[in-house]
Amino acid sequence: MTGALIDLFGWSYALASFLLWIGAQLLGLGNWISLQLGAPSPGPLEGMIGFVTGAPLTSLVAIILAINILLLWATAFHLLIVMWIERKMYSRLQDRRGIMLGLGSSEILRNTLGRIPLIGRPFRKASHLGTGFLQTVADGVKLFQKEVITPASADKWMFHAAPVMIAASTLFLFIAIPWSDGFWIMGSRLPNGDVVNPWGVLVILGAFSVAPLSILIAGWASNNKYTLLGGMRAAAQLMSYEIPMVLSIIALVVFAGTLDPFQLVRQQSAPLTFGLGPFGTVQIPWLPNWYIFNPILWIAFVVFFITVIAEAERIPFDIPEAEAELVEGWTTEYSGMRFGIVFGFKWLRAIAGAALIAILFLGGWSGPVFAQVWIPNIASPGNLWPIPILPQEFWFTLKIYAIFVVFVWIGWSVPRVRIDQILNIGWKRLLPLSLLAILLATLARGMGWF
Amino acid sequence: MAEMWINMGPQHPMTHGLWNLRIKVDGETIVDAEPEIGYLHRGYEKIMEVREFQKNVVLTDRLCYVSSITWSHCYCLACEAAMDLDVPERGKYLRVVSNELQRIASHLMWLAAYGPDLGLLTALLWALRERELFLDLLQLITGARMNQNYPRIGGVRNDAPGDFEKYCAKVIGHFRKKLGEHEKVFEQSKLFQVRIDLRKLDPYDAYPEMDFQPAVEQEGDSYARYKVRVEEMKTSCDIILQALHKMPTGPYRVKPPRRIEGEGFRRTEDSRGEALFYVIGDGDDRPYRVKIRSPVFSNIAAAPLMMRGNKVADVVAIMGSIDVCVGEMDK
Amino acid sequence: MDLEVVAFLILSGLEVGAAVMTVTAKKLVHNVFWLAVTLITIAGIYLLFLAEFVAWIQIIVYAGAVPVLFLFGIMLTRRKIMEEPHESQ
Repeated sequence: MTGALIDLFGWSYALASFLLWIGAQLLGLGNWISLQLGAPSPGPLEGMIGFVTGAPLTSLVAIILAINILLLWATAFHLLIVMWIERKMYSRLQDRRGIMLGLGSSEILRNTLGRIPLIGRPFRKASHLGTGFLQTVADGVKLFQKEVITPASADKWMFHAAPVMIAASTLFLFIAIPWSDGFWIMGSRLPNGDVVNPWGVLVILGAFSVAPLSILIAGWASNNKYTLLGGMRAAAQLMSYEIPMVLSIIALVVFAGTLDPFQLVRQQSAPLTFGLGPFGTVQIPWLPNWYIFNPILWIAFVVFFITVIAEAERIPFDIPEAEAELVEGWTTEYSGMRFGIVFGFKWLRAIAGAALIAILFLGGWSGPVFAQVWIPNIASPGNLWPIPILPQEFWFTLKIYAIFVVFVWIGWSVPRVRIDQILNIGWKRLLPLSLLAILLATLARGMGWF
Repeated sequence: MAEMWINMGPQHPMTHGLWNLRIKVDGETIVDAEPEIGYLHRGYEKIMEVREFQKNVVLTDRLCYVSSITWSHCYCLACEAAMDLDVPERGKYLRVVSNELQRIASHLMWLAAYGPDLGLLTALLWALRERELFLDLLQLITGARMNQNYPRIGGVRNDAPGDFEKYCAKVIGHFRKKLGEHEKVFEQSKLFQVRIDLRKLDPYDAYPEMDFQPAVEQEGDSYARYKVRVEEMKTSCDIILQALHKMPTGPYRVKPPRRIEGEGFRRTEDSRGEALFYVIGDGDDRPYRVKIRSPVFSNIAAAPLMMRGNKVADVVAIMGSIDVCVGEMDK
Repeated sequence: MDLEVVAFLILSGLEVGAAVMTVTAKKLVHNVFWLAVTLITIAGIYLLFLAEFVAWIQIIVYAGAVPVLFLFGIMLTRRKIMEEPHESQ
């Protein structure tokens, strides 16, 4: 078992205390100046100083900081990396190199930093030798510069509300998804050190389920035939895939007996154990107890994986934005950063889906650890703090990226599926399969098998 | 759901070029369709009336920029029919070789465009990668990668380079292996067409000496059209190798007369279907009248028939599979 | 005043306002949007009652699915859902 690198609330609390301490010092300075100017004895800002350094405000600032840190980590950092992974990966599938814009691409950098003898090396490369990571940044900057055009006949209020709804529901996903034992927002720490969030998976599903409505509203509000068709397609697809998704999770929940992501991960980090009913149990010590290895939950895993691809509108199921017939589907009329939001948040939903797959079936953030370093803890002074060489965040991120690579691999090697075929797959294949998984899981649970 | 007309074009990812397909949809189902063409009309038949016969060849290879040689070839055959001109044997064989190379390149371009239509961008890059090899071969023989101006009235412009057969065999050997991969990738989709292979039915040039089976499918759907094109690519490979093997030595071109009195027409198997040129000369050195029959023009007229009852996503699959080339459609 | 009371007042105010808008809004999609707001604020009130399970189920079932089903049902049966400036043909 490995420990968490990041203790989000501890760090945020320390950071908030520090920021508020600076504020209190400034207030104290003001108080001192006003005393020098002849104010009465305690000073006018004395009460403010007490309030600023008090526990309630520090906790509030700490929570706000924690939420911001987690959202920045999930969106800015992972969004860029995942976009880069996708573009590089499909370029390789297509026998080309893909994006190559690197640090050396800028003439200015090459002629200034590149001239410096020892450290200028990465800036001296020609532009076609870069890794391409700057391209995603450049695309984001470009979207910020573009004008936001509102179609004249659009329902303006709804047109601008829809991206906000999409962004809000997607960010809410990341509030509910924990990244490790210490890197989480939603949950509470028990006295024995375990973290619990009894309805965590339910919250994630709830956040997923708000998207169809906002997409339908976006498609309708643009007042464009392509967007309307795309919005209808998106709503039909997301709605019909949500049912097998929830049902396959129910199979897992019946088996695991909890909706708590922390509990699920704790269960999966034990060695692989099969119950054989009256014959006792079999343990395979060199494999973790991931639910993907379970022969019954394997069905639920397949269903869940396919539905996550559909929920993220990735290519075999990307009919809502089928660019060949519907130009860009329900996002056609959006421009500038509004397009950036609706487009980029699709990747975020894919990341959230991959994270959910990892938590539910692939052991979440559990993984082997090889060594720990002990350093003094800033969050609780006086204690030593173990830093794992391969922390939980590393394993979780690795699993998310691996799942995402599979998404890309599938997405760029199969053609798009038609709307009636999509609904057939959803209702006639995945739904019975997920019901079968529930049935088998219930039986297995009742009989004590697996 | 309310019925509504949707414009697919003139600037739309579905139209590979400048044309418009208006479809009437009831929800996702197409009730009616109506093609609108003519955005690229350049008046080819009229332009050709004011230029000399031999100079018109350069116009005909702009009819379709992905299948130039087949069109020039058709025009040259029609003029030769009007002139009662006999092309030397080597010229005929060279025409067959260049024609088939062009056909493969054109079909690969179609395959490349069809991939993104079906949401498979990977196929675009793969097919273009293979097309590059055939463009290189065409460049070896004609000197150009696009708008190749190779056939002449009376033969072809120049002889093939000495080791051309070797290059061809190498490329085709490689291509046959790769084509299997393409087929694996492309195994789903839906279209219509009764195909007649004019290379067999009404043979011209050196085709009577070639041993090949025309690619014909009984079903008239998109998948059948896809299979026909892939089969045609394989057939073309065989024909090229046979032609290069059997190719006689000797002159490859004769000098044609400048003036024509009379009329000639010739139909050929173009990459997209039956191409026809009808040339009338009134004794002048320019044609009195030229008529072009484009296969795409005829196929596009059937769009409403093909569309009705299908889904919106099928529009792309169906129209993509008849391989619309706006240049030859609008003339 | 207690924070919970403040939250309750804000949520219930939003809910009543959204419910009124659901009934009075002219356009179908606006109605559905306000219906979704109503249902989500009800989920918020459940959260205040510490009934977390009911709250999340409320969001999954009512906020996620029911408005879209309404919208689908009405859009698929009603003849006119978009303003078409020029009725072609």
